[in-house]
Amino acid sequence: MDSRSLFQALFRAEDTFRKGLTRREFITSQARGALLFAAGASGLVIPSRVLAAGETDIAIARGGPGPATRAAVGLLGGMGAFVKPGSKVVIKPNMSFARGPESATNTDPEVVRELVAMCREAGASRVRVLDHPLRPNEQCIEGVSEACRVFGDDLVQALEDEDFYREITLPQAEKFRKTEVMKEVLDADVLIAAPVAKAHSSTGVSLSLKGMMGLIRNRTIMHWRYDLSSAIVDLCTFLRPQLVVIDGTRVLTTNGPGGPGKVLKMDTIIASRDMVAADAQAIELFEWYGRKMQPRQVKHISIAHERGLGRMDIHNLITRKVQV
Amino acid sequence: MTFHRVLQAFMLVLFLVLLYLAAFPLVSPLPVDLFLRMDPLILVGTIISARSLVPALLLAAFLLVTTFFLGRFFCSYLCPMGTTIDMADRVVRRGITGGSPLPSSLRTLKYLVLFFVLGAALLGVSLVFLVSPLSLITRFYAVVIFPVAALIADTGLNALRGAADIFGLTILPAAAIEAPRYVLVWFVVAVFAVVFGCAAISPRFWCRYLCPAGALFALCSRRPVVRRVVDDRCILCGLCRQQCPMDAICEDPMKTRFGECIACEECVRVCPVDAVRFTYPVHDQGDGETLFSGRRRQLVWSGLFGIGAALVSLAGLHRVQGQTILGQIIPPSLIRPPGALPEQDFLARCMRCGECMKACPTNTLQPIGLITGFPALASPVITPRRGPCEPLCNVCGQVCPTGALRDLSPGEKIWAKVGTAYVIRHKCLAWEFDSECLICDEVCPFDAVTLKRVPEIGVVVPFVDEKKCNGCGFCEYQCPVQGQSAIVVEPMDALRLEAGSYKQQATELGFSFEMKQKADFEPGQGDAGFEDTLPPGFTE
Repeated sequence: MDSRSLFQALFRAEDTFRKGLTRREFITSQARGALLFAAGASGLVIPSRVLAAGETDIAIARGGPGPATRAAVGLLGGMGAFVKPGSKVVIKPNMSFARGPESATNTDPEVVRELVAMCREAGASRVRVLDHPLRPNEQCIEGVSEACRVFGDDLVQALEDEDFYREITLPQAEKFRKTEVMKEVLDADVLIAAPVAKAHSSTGVSLSLKGMMGLIRNRTIMHWRYDLSSAIVDLCTFLRPQLVVIDGTRVLTTNGPGGPGKVLKMDTIIASRDMVAADAQAIELFEWYGRKMQPRQVKHISIAHERGLGRMDIHNLITRKVQV
Repeated sequence: MTFHRVLQAFMLVLFLVLLYLAAFPLVSPLPVDLFLRMDPLILVGTIISARSLVPALLLAAFLLVTTFFLGRFFCSYLCPMGTTIDMADRVVRRGITGGSPLPSSLRTLKYLVLFFVLGAALLGVSLVFLVSPLSLITRFYAVVIFPVAALIADTGLNALRGAADIFGLTILPAAAIEAPRYVLVWFVVAVFAVVFGCAAISPRFWCRYLCPAGALFALCSRRPVVRRVVDDRCILCGLCRQQCPMDAICEDPMKTRFGECIACEECVRVCPVDAVRFTYPVHDQGDGETLFSGRRRQLVWSGLFGIGAALVSLAGLHRVQGQTILGQIIPPSLIRPPGALPEQDFLARCMRCGECMKACPTNTLQPIGLITGFPALASPVITPRRGPCEPLCNVCGQVCPTGALRDLSPGEKIWAKVGTAYVIRHKCLAWEFDSECLICDEVCPFDAVTLKRVPEIGVVVPFVDEKKCNGCGFCEYQCPVQGQSAIVVEPMDALRLEAGSYKQQATELGFSFEMKQKADFEPGQGDAGFEDTLPPGFTE
């Protein structure tokens, strides 16, 4: 046996070992999940807020972008449940593409405007709408910027320069442990994720979890150094919005995130405190490439569920619907 | 502060403001390349090397004509190179007294430089960029001074914002000055270190001995209508001669070398008896020198050397003759800006002034080194790894003084294909490493990248549709792979049209560059190929 084939044999052996381990780990975590669930069902460790007489986990509102947004948040107790007077709020919509709302690549400006209005009503001292776009900044934020102008000129910003970021460690991350996050986000009291619902050719969908990549500076490292889906979950162990509002008024169901793809008009807003649940609900509610998909079929969502970031078993959660 | 200094300062500031305004979108009350258009060497050199007349450059012709009346006022009042050298002289010559130790005859050197450049231009090789004062000074401010200034300004802005934050104020929360960066800056700095350093030998060393544009003005300034006149109050003290920055006053201070005189009127100011005037003379006091002082043979030789230099360049391996000639080497990085003329015409006109590089909003335009030989030195190329060519921008052609880059409308510019992207599969995260990545598809403004499922690879992988790719380089810029990008643009299929419509040409060749602007989805376009397989990005 020459040294090369020896190496290959060794690699194979190591590979098998690693796969075995992964599988074992997987089973363990599944078991843990099941145990937790059983415990939850028996009322042993169930979080108190769920017990509080049918508090809504997921709110689904149908209607025009603005009213549906307000109604969905209303089902969760209104913006006042999240934003206390004087607090600083960051809203993270999708503003990554220089295209109009009809392409469903960006969050509808009206959804963002309604959220800003609700934050102001709740007494927020400072509201910022932030993203780190892919295309030249001004072109990307134009729509949202225009819609939010009534609240001030410097509300909506696309931040690129390193001076706007601060390096932090992600204490609960498994592998992707260090990154630079927008200072505004680090200094905020409340983070609201406001993604548009769209397909994503490498991560299946791009919703609230995936959207957090728009708050950090160096995203490419998540692609080449780490497994992208795990890195997204690592990032979301730190960037955990208190409120998720998914814009499903139009859904880019194919060829995301940039399109052009098949856009369905769904007139739906999904809101939740739980990123994973909100994303899972969006996956179940809309069609993707003309068919129904399961939340577990999206790798970063099932990892997030396993690691306890939230729950993708939405059928066990309390969902409220409203038509406006 | 004399009127002369005030006007000089004003013109330098105007020059800098116009250079600053060379940016996208282009908003300027005056042409941003106004001063470049004044350089007679650019005018004459381009006419000869490009065998055509650029109407915008006729401003220089007008100045040459004016010189017959007013002398070389351009050099003392308008030229930003001259003003910059004056400023350098003040610093370098502090403590140095006395005139130049060099013989006055050395001033013929600038004619030799001129003839050398024009000799090369006869064969279509433009070396104007090496010695044109406006090209040199524009390049100096554009690629050296502006980036440094931007860096300082950005640092200052951050400090200011930090200080304001302490007091709870929000100043320009999202303003950032992104400093452009350029290659070859030390080359430019080295040239100017020499130019400025020569002040130690004599004031305005460059203008006196080397400047070929000054030589052209001098040829029109043999005996200007308004010129230096000394009346009989002169006490022959020689102070004017000592103070003249151009060594334009002869042993006999009554006599002037008009070709050298730049009408700065320093002699008027220093004269203790008020004997010097700039006016139309009643009695001609005669020119202090004969043209070229009996060095015509040297001029001919210099012109011949220029022709020789051009021949050497033309015979070199790296000269790009055309796009499709066998056996010639076109470097893969030679991606010319959109609207660049065919290579030889382009090089015959490009002054390497750096206006396009200064104006480029993504900093993708960079000067090249010697990859296609010496005559292409410092000409602009798109460097996608640094930045993409923004599809909606057409500023490089708008600011080009000589038309080396055509001034294309935004609608035309999209069709000016600069190259084609291709995937290097063994570097690609999806192809080689089975990793979830689709950035090239995501960022492509033209939807030229499609993701497909292929056997034995767990993720979707990118393919480039070359008919939709105009070479903008967003994919190469954003590709997350370290080192060389896994998707790169090369100048393959670049359209280089001397005249005519890019749109027409591109359409005839079957190209289709549609921006992904609207929801312009047609069934089967983005979802094609996934009918029988799992949709991209999903797992079982």
